Amino acid sequence: MKTFVCIKYVPDTSEAEVKLNPDGLTVDDSRFSFDINDADNYAVEESVIIKEAQGGEVTVLSIGPKKSEVMIRMAMAKGCDKAVRIEDDRIAAHDPLMVAKVLAGGLKDQEFDLVLTGCMANDDWHMSTGVALAEELGVNHASMVNKVEILDGKVKVNRELEGGLMEVVEVDLPAVLTIQTGINEPRYAPIRGIRQAQKKELNVVSLDDMGIDAAAVNADASQVVLEKLYIPEVESSAEFIEGEPDEKAEKLASILQKGGLV
Amino acid sequence: MQTFTEKYDLLGCIQCGRCTGGCPVTVRADLNVRQFVNDAYDEDKLEELAKLAEIWDCTACHTCAVRCPKGLKPLEVLIGLRTMIVESGKVEPTVRDALQSVLLEGNPWEKSRATRSDWMEGLDVRIADPDEPVENLFFVCCTIAYDPRVRAVAQNMVKLLNKAGVDYAFLPEDESCCGSEVLTLGEEGLFEMQVEDNTEYLNEFKAERIVTLSPHCFTTYKTHYPDLKTPVVHYTQLLVDLLNDGKLSWKGELPKKIVYHDPCYLGKQGGIYDEPRELLKSIPGAELVEFERRRERSLCCEGGGGKMWVESESKKERLSDTRIKDAKELGAEIVAVACPFCVLTLEDSMKGLGYEEEMRVAEIMELLGELMET
Repeated sequence: MKTFVCIKYVPDTSEAEVKLNPDGLTVDDSRFSFDINDADNYAVEESVIIKEAQGGEVTVLSIGPKKSEVMIRMAMAKGCDKAVRIEDDRIAAHDPLMVAKVLAGGLKDQEFDLVLTGCMANDDWHMSTGVALAEELGVNHASMVNKVEILDGKVKVNRELEGGLMEVVEVDLPAVLTIQTGINEPRYAPIRGIRQAQKKELNVVSLDDMGIDAAAVNADASQVVLEKLYIPEVESSAEFIEGEPDEKAEKLASILQKGGLV
Repeated sequence: MQTFTEKYDLLGCIQCGRCTGGCPVTVRADLNVRQFVNDAYDEDKLEELAKLAEIWDCTACHTCAVRCPKGLKPLEVLIGLRTMIVESGKVEPTVRDALQSVLLEGNPWEKSRATRSDWMEGLDVRIADPDEPVENLFFVCCTIAYDPRVRAVAQNMVKLLNKAGVDYAFLPEDESCCGSEVLTLGEEGLFEMQVEDNTEYLNEFKAERIVTLSPHCFTTYKTHYPDLKTPVVHYTQLLVDLLNDGKLSWKGELPKKIVYHDPCYLGKQGGIYDEPRELLKSIPGAELVEFERRRERSLCCEGGGGKMWVESESKKERLSDTRIKDAKELGAEIVAVACPFCVLTLEDSMKGLGYEEEMRVAEIMELLGELMET
């Protein structure tokens, strides 16, 4: 089984305050911590689980800066065999279609059975890169996958749909699967493993190296124009519920019910 | 390559049982450290032993090491077994995330490195510079730097030092975790890296002493950093010196019954028992009472040994609950501690037991901060 796993280095915006840069188009990321995108971490684990069961090889594919290599090495410490890091300022990274084209360029001329991506990214939440990648590659896909079973020449996967509905589909290989969080329990990358992973092959390539015309994936090529980013004004109302505990619980339940929250 | 038996000197054990006999965790978990020391002789059994859930019950309080007549550290056998699990990558997600955060951000709390010095906001803090010699170089600790509940320890320290005219400086935001919990969680490789990096970093500064706010950092630097050139003290040692030199004075009174809880990392491991008590005795109006289990016999709060990230499978009473009940029985109004982890565990128990109205858990620096003359 030959697998590629696409991962992204993203900021954790849950702790530090989000501030915009004066250009109004980018976020000041100087106070954030960065790590592998949550869903991608599950994709890495799934790729290693598949390799452990089926044999084969896993290649990490990522578009990102030099500092993201720590994330790539961690994926390699967990069992991925080699990696390609694409770095090129010209890529219109805000547009998932452009990102998909670049990733597809990285897979050009490569043999593969499976490509795993996370189902969504913690920074822009587009949830579309993996699906667009399948389109670019001209292969099948299944999104929001939370169970994978490898069959002969195909995979049987569970897709998690709205309202807890589970869809089970069989997909012919090669295919792209976008992996949902919770499909497995990602392992820890011990430091000794990360050190050993330094010996594994990691190629850094540009658009030119991949033979991709920058004009096809840059901001001019993109149909998405990022006009502005802004932080929505905080609107809030707070209601203090008074009374004895059972009265409070009753009032709270009624508010939640009326609001359609339960 | 050393065998497991050689590394932990297992043949030195005479199976007297003083380790298990003193282990505070045995009252609530199935942990029998003597048996582990015995069974680990058999190298073929190690993998099986490493899979037992109770290896994660140890709080690294070091009671077993203090009591061992042969000078062994039985707890290290459990940590060695944890290392086997950590290196396989199959650890609890909470442990995984804490360790990964240490590697990426220099703290186990999954906080951004860039925000490490946020606690200093609004304070007149002197920041250390490798080119400027200083008497007291302060190492804050990840928990005190990031956890809003215990930040006051550092903040009050700054106010106290400024007022007492002490020559001091705090490390800037590139201060990194000392590795105390990394070591006891069994991430041996990461801890080795931290020792190397922190030694190099701290040795750049010219200081007479490094003052740690947490006893976990204190013991770790003292015990596991052989090449650190600057001596390390706990802040209670420095403050007692200042007190004796007449540089500290308190405003008003605190007419409360205070019981002092000896943190394992400060007492059993650091040998510091008297300084925290001297500070508490200096508080006007305070009455210092003592737990029956105190000093070397102090009951562990279960906050050490990486237990902040590992929940015990046992549903029996937490040791911190037992401790708070003991304090209640003594009529203590304040449970004073000198460790951020003890504050967090004991306060949780105090609240859980519903004693919030009549009891308070406080770090000594919180109490002193309230008594500083402005």
